[in-house]
Amino acid sequence: MFTRQEQLEFILDHYENPRHKGALDNADAVVEGGNPGCGDIVKVYLKVGDDGHITATFEGEGCTISQASASFLMDEVNGKTLEEVLTLDHEALMENLGKEIVQQRTRCATLSLDTLRAAIRKREREQMLKES
Amino acid sequence: MTDYVHPEVLVSTDWVAQHLNDPKVRIVETDEDVLLYDIGHVPNAVKIDWHTDLNNPLVRDYLNADQFSALLQAKGIGADTTLVFYGDKNNWWACYALWVFKLFGFKDARIMNGGRKKWIDEGRELSKAVPNYPKTAYAAPQRKDHEIRAFRNDVLFHLEQKKPLVDVRSPGEFSGQLLHMADYPQEGAMRGGHIPGAKNIPWAKAVQDDGTFKSAAELKELYQAQGIVSDKEVIAYCRIGERSSHTWFVLTYLLGFPNVRNYDGSWTEWGNLVGVPIEK
Repeated sequence: MFTRQEQLEFILDHYENPRHKGALDNADAVVEGGNPGCGDIVKVYLKVGDDGHITATFEGEGCTISQASASFLMDEVNGKTLEEVLTLDHEALMENLGKEIVQQRTRCATLSLDTLRAAIRKREREQMLKES
Repeated sequence: MTDYVHPEVLVSTDWVAQHLNDPKVRIVETDEDVLLYDIGHVPNAVKIDWHTDLNNPLVRDYLNADQFSALLQAKGIGADTTLVFYGDKNNWWACYALWVFKLFGFKDARIMNGGRKKWIDEGRELSKAVPNYPKTAYAAPQRKDHEIRAFRNDVLFHLEQKKPLVDVRSPGEFSGQLLHMADYPQEGAMRGGHIPGAKNIPWAKAVQDDGTFKSAAELKELYQAQGIVSDKEVIAYCRIGERSSHTWFVLTYLLGFPNVRNYDGSWTEWGNLVGVPIEK
C-alpha cells in the first residue's frame, strides 16, 4: 500500500517524464478526446501488429492527472493484446495511479482510457468497412 | 494600480511576499489543475479545491452556510481575515472561488495579480509544506445569491428587457460550431449558439501575456466597444460560470460596474433547456 506522498510522486514522475509520448506513424486509428469542463486533451495513436499486440502512443496537454494517466496507461497497454486491454476499467486504472489522489478528478484520470477505447472501436469499424 | 475603481482587491506578488507570515492574511490557492498545489505553492498558502470544497455534492449548487463555516474554520480563516486568492490559468478558478466567497458576503477577498504563473516566473519560493492553522470560530451568514448570481428566470427577464449579456466563451462556442469535444457528445449541450443579444467577449482578453489584468483604459475599451457600459445591469455567462466569474471580477472591481451578475447555470443549462431562445 503506497502512502499518499508515494502516490503523488508516482503521478508526478509520469507527468514530468511521460512514456510513449509522440505521434505514431502508420497508426491504425487516431482519436482525440477531451474534457469540456477543463482544458485536457489526450490524443491516442493505436496500431495492432500482425501478432495481435498493441503499439500505442499519445500526445496531449492539460492537467497533471490527465497527462500522467495517459503516460501510465500507454506503459500498461504496449505489448498487450486487444482482449487484455479491453478488460481494463476505470476502477483498476485509478487504483494503479493512486486512487486517493486521482479520485478528486475522475474524469481527468480516465480520459486516456476512454480515448483508447474509442480508438479501438474506430479501428474495428474501419476494419469492418474494409472487409465488407 | 492603473486607475482601477477598486484597486484594493488586487495585490502584487511583492505584496504577497511581504505578507507571507502576516497572521491577518491567508493566502489561498485554487487551480484548475488540482495537483499544482502539491507540486509547490506560495509558502504558507492553503488549498481550496473549487470542485470538492465549494460545491454541493448532490445538487448543482454551492455550499450552504454551515458547510462554508466549517470549511473556513478548518482553513484558519476568520471574518476579519484578508484573503488572497491565486491560481493557474490567469487566476480563472481563483476568481471563481472569490465569487463563491462573495455569495456569503466575505468582506476582504483579493486576487494576487498574475497568479501562480507570475509567482513562478519571478523565481519566487515555492513550498510543499501544508500549513496547519488554528481553527477559527467563523460563522457564515446565509448566502445572498440575488446580488451577484443570476438564475435562469433572471436571464429570461433580462433578455425580455433587452439588457446586456456578455458571453465569455470562445468564438466557436458562441457561434454554435462547438457543442462538445470530439467523441464526448454526452458532455456538451444539446444545442449550440448563444443567448440572443449576448456579446462575445472571451474572458482571457482581459489579461496580458503574463497573466496580469490589462489596464483600466484597455478594459474599458474592450467592453465599451461592444456596448457593455457601467450604467447598465450586466449578466455574464460561459459554460458553467467559471470563466464568466473572471469577467464578473473585472467588471465589478476593476471597472466598478455597480450591477453585474454571474449566470453560473450558463450554457450547460441554457443549451439543454427546452424552449428557450437561441441565436447562432
